[in-house]
Amino acid sequence: MKKVITALGLVVVSFISIMPFYVLIMMSTQVTEDIFKGKMFLPGKYAIENLTTVLNSSFFKSFLNSIFVSVTSTILCVLICTMTGYSLAKYNYKFKKLFYAFIIGTMMVPTQIGLIGYIMEMRFFQLNNTLIPLILIWIANPFGVFWMVQYIKSAVPQDIIESARIDGCNELRIFIQIILPIVKPAMVTLSLVIFLWSWNNYLLPLVMINKEELFTIPLSIQSLGSYYRTDYGARMMGLLIAIIPLIILFIFGSKNFIRGLTAGAVKE
Amino acid sequence: MENKPFFQSKRTISPNVSRTRRFTISIKAWPYLFLSPFLLFYLAFNIFPIIYSFYISFTSWDGFSEKTFVGFNNYIRVFTQDPSFWKSVWNTLLIMLMSTPFVIIFGLLLAVFLFNITKWRSFFQTINFIPYITTPVAIGLIFAFLFDWSSGTVNHLLMSTGLIKEGINWLGEPMYARIVVALMIIWKYTGYHMAIYLTGLSTIPQELYEAAKMDGSSAVNTFFKITIPLLAPITMFLVLTDIIGGLQMFDEPKLLFTDTAVGGPERSVLTAIWHFYDTTFATSRFGYGAAVSFSLFLIIIIFTLISYKFLNKKESYK
Repeated sequence: MKKVITALGLVVVSFISIMPFYVLIMMSTQVTEDIFKGKMFLPGKYAIENLTTVLNSSFFKSFLNSIFVSVTSTILCVLICTMTGYSLAKYNYKFKKLFYAFIIGTMMVPTQIGLIGYIMEMRFFQLNNTLIPLILIWIANPFGVFWMVQYIKSAVPQDIIESARIDGCNELRIFIQIILPIVKPAMVTLSLVIFLWSWNNYLLPLVMINKEELFTIPLSIQSLGSYYRTDYGARMMGLLIAIIPLIILFIFGSKNFIRGLTAGAVKE
Repeated sequence: MENKPFFQSKRTISPNVSRTRRFTISIKAWPYLFLSPFLLFYLAFNIFPIIYSFYISFTSWDGFSEKTFVGFNNYIRVFTQDPSFWKSVWNTLLIMLMSTPFVIIFGLLLAVFLFNITKWRSFFQTINFIPYITTPVAIGLIFAFLFDWSSGTVNHLLMSTGLIKEGINWLGEPMYARIVVALMIIWKYTGYHMAIYLTGLSTIPQELYEAAKMDGSSAVNTFFKITIPLLAPITMFLVLTDIIGGLQMFDEPKLLFTDTAVGGPERSVLTAIWHFYDTTFATSRFGYGAAVSFSLFLIIIIFTLISYKFLNKKESYK
């Protein structure tokens, strides 16, 4: 009896969790009139038409923009945060603790606080209306450092580094050939998280980018509303395409994802 | 610190190559070298913008012409003469009040259910986590469609089951609009809370449960006497992050009302960040907007401290 209630509860909640996605997928295969008639629970025959409409619009370009921004941000952020994490976790030097505490402190600060200053800075460097500001913001990510420091502290034994040093290995080689392979799982997790955050980022591109050819996915979704005001099918197809990369990444790396996104809650 | 140079040039003469010059870097320099790229980007693009924004908040500026220094005038105006600011904070708090208790309760229950099954656990965990990773902007649009007055799925469902006779104007009435935003938040964050509670549950020693069972404690009793108290630090963490994150709500309500006026019906879902966005960029008042953002930061800090104190006190009673 108890098991039945548990199972039922789980199924109902899970149903609610994926229901909007189900409706989204169904609507993206339909022609607008059918959606308005309330046929949103069954698949239609207009998937290809809707897809063509979306691909022929500027939506596809913004998909590529988003891929470029997110991939570049992720690579740079993960590389730099790993180096920083290694430095903070495995070396001793002056002001190290203070600096780390400061970084952790800024994790709590809302990003909107610096937004106006950041825009002005980008204008000064004449980078407004390029995609670069959307990348630069992710490179020095406090969470990334926090994550890497925690992982390197727990996963990299000091002995390995010491013995490599005795064997005459220089510090850069130790980092590349010994540390990187060990911290790979943490880098994977951080990559997923940063990719997700930069893909979903909305406020910064909203105030930074005016040119349509530089739109990222969230901006494009926003303008989907005005482009296909009447073409709901295409609009839904656009939404679907926008979230598909995330869903695919998530399904393949869900354990890593969840670990990264819930980091910090439970002290080990 | 020792006075040793970071870069030492070392000349090596090998038999084949006539003369190569190699630079070896002192071990003392490496941590700084590893740190320096981060430090550079951090100072340039994280710290500098905050300081600069803070400076701008004491000026009156449209972003192009000369700045005029106005001292604390912007802040005085935010706190005493800007009803929209207080309304936006109030709206945000109201939506949080309508959503946070539910995400906590649902997340906890879901986690406890999932923790007791082994089969399908990761399947259900994955399914329920998907809303959390979905692009917020997309969620806004999907919900706008689901709750549409004439063609929305929710009204269709409610009408076909006979619960209501006429479609509810979800997005047109202030209170309904807030409910829809709260539902969106609940829908999105339940899975996240579940995942965090699941990690928390795994840290509770199983012997405690076994001992309780031996003493004849019912499942409900165990839940209230063991699970909830032991998860209290996690609940505290979640409430704190909900408050910090909730006060920064922007994407979802903004996209829910993408076609209508600023803030939805009667500005009922104008959140604090939306107000910040609107004052700064729609009307190009950068100085004032910066002051709004720092005022909001102050409010976030105050609320965090209050709830931290409150939750800590509650815990010490046990």
